[in-house]
Amino acid sequence: MSLKSSPPECRPNRRDALAALVIAAAALVIALSFYYDNAPAGSASVQVSVSVGGRVEDFSSLSRYAGVHTYSCNGYTLTVSCDGAEVQVVSSTCPGQDCVHTGAVSKAGQSIVCLPARIVIRLTGGAADLTVG
Amino acid sequence: MGRYSVKQLALWAVLAALALGLSTLDGMLPLSALLPLPGVKLGLANIVTLFALYVSGAPAALAILAVRCVLGAVFAGNASALLFSLLGGFCAMGAMILARRFGGLSVFGVSLCGAAAHNVGQIAAAMIVLGDTAVVGYLPFLLLLSLVTGSLTGLIVSRLLRAAVYLPLS
Repeated sequence: MSLKSSPPECRPNRRDALAALVIAAAALVIALSFYYDNAPAGSASVQVSVSVGGRVEDFSSLSRYAGVHTYSCNGYTLTVSCDGAEVQVVSSTCPGQDCVHTGAVSKAGQSIVCLPARIVIRLTGGAADLTVG
Repeated sequence: MGRYSVKQLALWAVLAALALGLSTLDGMLPLSALLPLPGVKLGLANIVTLFALYVSGAPAALAILAVRCVLGAVFAGNASALLFSLLGGFCAMGAMILARRFGGLSVFGVSLCGAAAHNVGQIAAAMIVLGDTAVVGYLPFLLLLSLVTGSLTGLIVSRLLRAAVYLPLS
C-alpha cells in the first residue's frame, strides 16, 4: 500500500468542481440534443412506437393506439393502457417495476423503458400516421 | 502468485465480498420508486472499488471489480446483469484510473468521474440489450444524479482513506 508515502488528496479542490461542471454540461448538451431530435413537428400527430426485444411491434398515432395492449418478452409480461391522449404501463411482472413507476407519458420525446422485458414504448411526433404489426 | 502476500490476497477477498454485499444491498433499496429511471442505484459497491484503487492499486481494484460483477450475475441468475455490471464497472474503473493519474483531482473528483462513467456504461449496455436508443434520454438525469452519488462515495472513501493510513494493510 502506498498511502503513507503519497497520501491521496482527500479535500475537494477546484479541479473537482471543474469535473462536476463538465459532467453537468455534458448532461445539458445530451438532454438538449436528444429532446431536439425528438421534438414534435406537429402536436396533432403524436405517434406511439412499441419495440419488443428490438423489434417494432406497434407503431400508430396515439389516438388509434387507444385501448389495452399486452406484450411479453424475456419471460415478463407488460400490460399497457392508452386513453388516446397518454400511455402508461399499468402492470408488469418485471422485478424492478421501473416501467410502472414511470407513469403516464403523453408528449413526443417521452418514453417508457422496461429493461428486464426489453420493451420500449416511445412517443414521437410529426411522422405520417401508419400502423405496423 | 508469489508476487502477492497472503495478507494482500486476504484483503482483496474481503473487499470483493464487501463489494458483493453492498451491490446486493443497493439492488434491494427501493430507489426506483422515488426516481423511475431504469438502472438507478446509489452505487454503494463503488465505495469498495474506489477504496481498493487507492489502497491496492489499479490491477487489484480491477480484479475485485471483475469478481464482484461475475459473482453478482451468478447469484442473481441473470446473464444480462453481467453485461450491465461489467460495462458500467469497467467504464467507471477506466475513468477513475485516468482521472487519478492525469486529472489532478482529489478523491471526490475521481469518484465523480467514476459515477458518471458508470452511468454511461450502463446506458450503453441498455442500448445493446434493447436495440434502441430511447434510453439515451435517461442519461442526462443519471449524469446529474451521479454528481450526488459520486460526491457521497467520495466523502465516504476520503474518510476511509484517512483512517486507513493508521491501518497495517500492506
